[in-house]
This record gives sequence, structure tokens and C-alpha cells, in this order.
Amino acid sequence: MEIDKEKCVGCGNCHAICPMGAISLDVDGKSVVNQDECVECSTCYRVLRDERYPPLFIRFIRSILGALNLQFMAVPDVCPTGALTPPDLEYPRSLRAAFSDPTVVHAGTGVGGRGTEEIKTNDVTGRLLDGDAGIVIELGRPGTGAHFRDVEKIATALIPLDPHFEEFNPVTQLMEDPKTGKIKPEVIDEKVLSAIIEVKTTLEKIPDYLAVLENIQSELDTVFSVGVASKCLPDGSVPHQKWVEDAGYTLSPNGKTNLGLGRPLFKEVS
Amino acid sequence: MTNTLHRKGSTEDLKGDYVIFTSIAKDYKPGTAPKIHEFLKICNKYGPINIGSSKLGSVLQNDVEFNDLITHLKDGSTSGAVFTDVETLQKVIADLIEADLGISINVSGLLEGVHECCGKNGITRHSVEQSLGFWGAKDRLPERDVLEINTLCGHGLVSFNFIHKMMDEVRMRKCTPKEAAKILGKCCECAVFNTSRAEKLLEKVLEQ
Repeated sequence: MEIDKEKCVGCGNCHAICPMGAISLDVDGKSVVNQDECVECSTCYRVLRDERYPPLFIRFIRSILGALNLQFMAVPDVCPTGALTPPDLEYPRSLRAAFSDPTVVHAGTGVGGRGTEEIKTNDVTGRLLDGDAGIVIELGRPGTGAHFRDVEKIATALIPLDPHFEEFNPVTQLMEDPKTGKIKPEVIDEKVLSAIIEVKTTLEKIPDYLAVLENIQSELDTVFSVGVASKCLPDGSVPHQKWVEDAGYTLSPNGKTNLGLGRPLFKEVS
Repeated sequence: MTNTLHRKGSTEDLKGDYVIFTSIAKDYKPGTAPKIHEFLKICNKYGPINIGSSKLGSVLQNDVEFNDLITHLKDGSTSGAVFTDVETLQKVIADLIEADLGISINVSGLLEGVHECCGKNGITRHSVEQSLGFWGAKDRLPERDVLEINTLCGHGLVSFNFIHKMMDEVRMRKCTPKEAAKILGKCCECAVFNTSRAEKLLEKVLEQ
């Protein structure tokens, strides 16, 4: 994101709304974006309504209020002068928007958001079958953001387990070679709101994956969220629960349920 | 909407937090707009506290009306709605089964509640995903109430700083918890933000 200094009146509303805390007040009293930290999510641009006031008018009002020892306070969800300006992004910076702005669709997977379907379409795709487990590791969430070098750190740590990185996942598509987990060098320093490493494995290997994550977590300067998924048994029970709990971990009481209403329903060949 | 998976809260709080949404597989998108349209109409009939579509925004946002949403829907749009009780969710699921839309539909919420809904409607859940929580540099995370509000947005677009700011606005009586919750909900592009839960968390500020 960029800020038009001619328009900005330094109200500060965009500072708080930025999920990465990448906007601050510059020495000239106007806001400035730290381009290294900005993940191009465009939350500031979408949420702060452009009030279209002329900057001179706002500055005049502010000087009058200042003379009366009063402060100019814009309501929290506006940009009084429409100073926020989304730039045209070129690769590799465009990846920031693809991973951070939910209105942008990932070119490689055709899916918006984090760019992956996980179990959400498992009823029609059969992505996870009987005995399979899906493990999703979302780096940067909640609220800290992640660089692809963090993503690489976890991906390479998983390699001894011979992971099957999901092909239709935008992180996998940024790997030089999924057999090594190495990320393409030109994107390694890009920062995103979050990125998901997605692995398909078997239920009995869940404890091994969790052990690797347990060991690597202290080496990261960001947070990550972990999720585990599986296809339910015919009675509706959840097969991954036993494996996770036996490994000594606690699963959330809430989660995501695919109701199985998609058609045509994927038929597993026995 | 991947991370409706990681919504934080006590089991009691989560009893008031169910998100139902469509997800269309990549190769099955053509021709699905009318089905998603019908999905949203069924949800809307039962008075969700939030409803919308990932490309068009939510009804909490400026200038987004429900009728505009369904008019501009495109094939494959991920769309969703938020309900605050399992009884209503059960009715929504019953209507969706009867409508037989043939698109993948998911619910984020307490698994037992959703499992019971499925049983009462004569279906068996297909797949389940659960969270193992947050790992890594957890010292960078804020206090629990802020985290609970932040995770109400599936993409984490409601910043920690903005939550703190709106807490201050409530504390200074510049706005009510309800108004603050609605403003925070505007950041969530996919309409999964639960304003009711956010309002309850913001009310705590007034008690402190």
C-alpha cells in the first residue's frame, strides 16, 4: 500500500487498522507505510471509507481546533481524504497480495484466501481417503505475519518424514522442489499475512509430524497454527482424534465439518 | 475461510458461534452461481448475524446489501453466514438437504453440536478438521480477549491494534460494544466475523 502525501492529513486511522502494524507517522506529520512489513492485504484501503474531504479543509479545521486546545479525531473507520493508494504490484511482491488479500485469487490454484481447499471439498474431490490424514501448518497466523524463509524452515524440517506436499497448494507451488522443501530464492524474503504448508500423510504418522513441529517451533520468530483433518468413518467418528490424543496433544472442541452434501460424491475404490 | 478452524473461546462461548459456508471444488465451479445464490437465501431466511461472500464482502461493510450480494454472485464464490445457536443451524441444514444443491457445504463450530445436527437430519458428516492451537513465538501474541476477537476473522484481518483501539473507544464511552463490534467486523471480508461474540467480549471492557 502507498499513501498519497499530498492528501494525507495524519489522522492515524490507518495505523491501527493495519494487521501488520506497518503504518506510522512520519517526521512530516503524515502517515508512511513500512514497505518491508506491509503484506499488501489492502485492509486499510477496503475498510477505511474515503470521505473525500479536500486535505486543505481538514487541515484548516484542525488548526482552528488546535487554537482552541481541541483535537481533531476522525471516526475510526474513515480515511478523511482518501489518501490510501493501492499500487500496481509486480512479481514477486504480488505474492504478498495473493497470500494476504482474500479478494485475490491464487493464479496457481484458482482458489482465493490462502489458496487451498483442504477438506472443504473432500466430499467431491476425495483429497483425503480412508486412513489418510491432512496436516495444515499456517505460519504467521494469528497476527504476526510470516516470511517465506520461515515457511522453508518448517518445510525442510519435515523432509525426513518424506512428506507429500499437497500439489494444489500455493506454498507447494513456490517450492523449487517439493522433495527438498526449499523455496524459490526470489521469494524467500517476501512477507505475507500467512501461508499454509499442507501435507497429506497417513493417520499413524501424525505423531511423527507433531514431534518435528514441537522441535522446530523454538527456532521461529513467528507463530503458526496447526490443524489436523481426516475423513470420518461410516458411523461419523473422527479417526485422527485417537492418534493425536495418544501422542499427548489436545484437540480443539470446535473445528470444521464437511457435511458431505457435495455431488457427485467421490467414490473410493476399495 | 480456512481458519474459522482456529476460533478461540471457551466451550460455553463457542455454543454461540456457528459458521456455515460453501466451498466449490476447482473443477466444479461452472454453473454454481444459482446454487450459491439459493444457499445464501436459505441462510438469510433464518436471520444470521453476518452473511456475505468472499469476493463481495459482508453485510457489515459499507454499501453492501444482501440483495446486491445475490445479484453479483459468480460461479464458485465462497459464501457464508454466522448463526448463534445450534437449533437454528439444524433448521438451516435441514433446508439445505431438502434443496439438494449438490455443492460442498461446511460448518465451523463445536463438533459435537454439528455432529448432532447431522444425526437429527439423517446425514453422516463426511470429514472433520480440528485445531491444535498456536505454536512458535507465542510471546508475540496479545491477551486472550484480543485473540478471541482476532480469530473471529478467518484471515486474521482484524488487527490486534484495531481491537485495542476499539476497546479504548468503548472504555471512553465513545461508542457502545455493539457499535464497536460492527466496526471491527467490517475488516472481515468473508462474512465469518461473529459480532455477537465480539460484543460480549467488548462488554467486559466496561466491567473492568
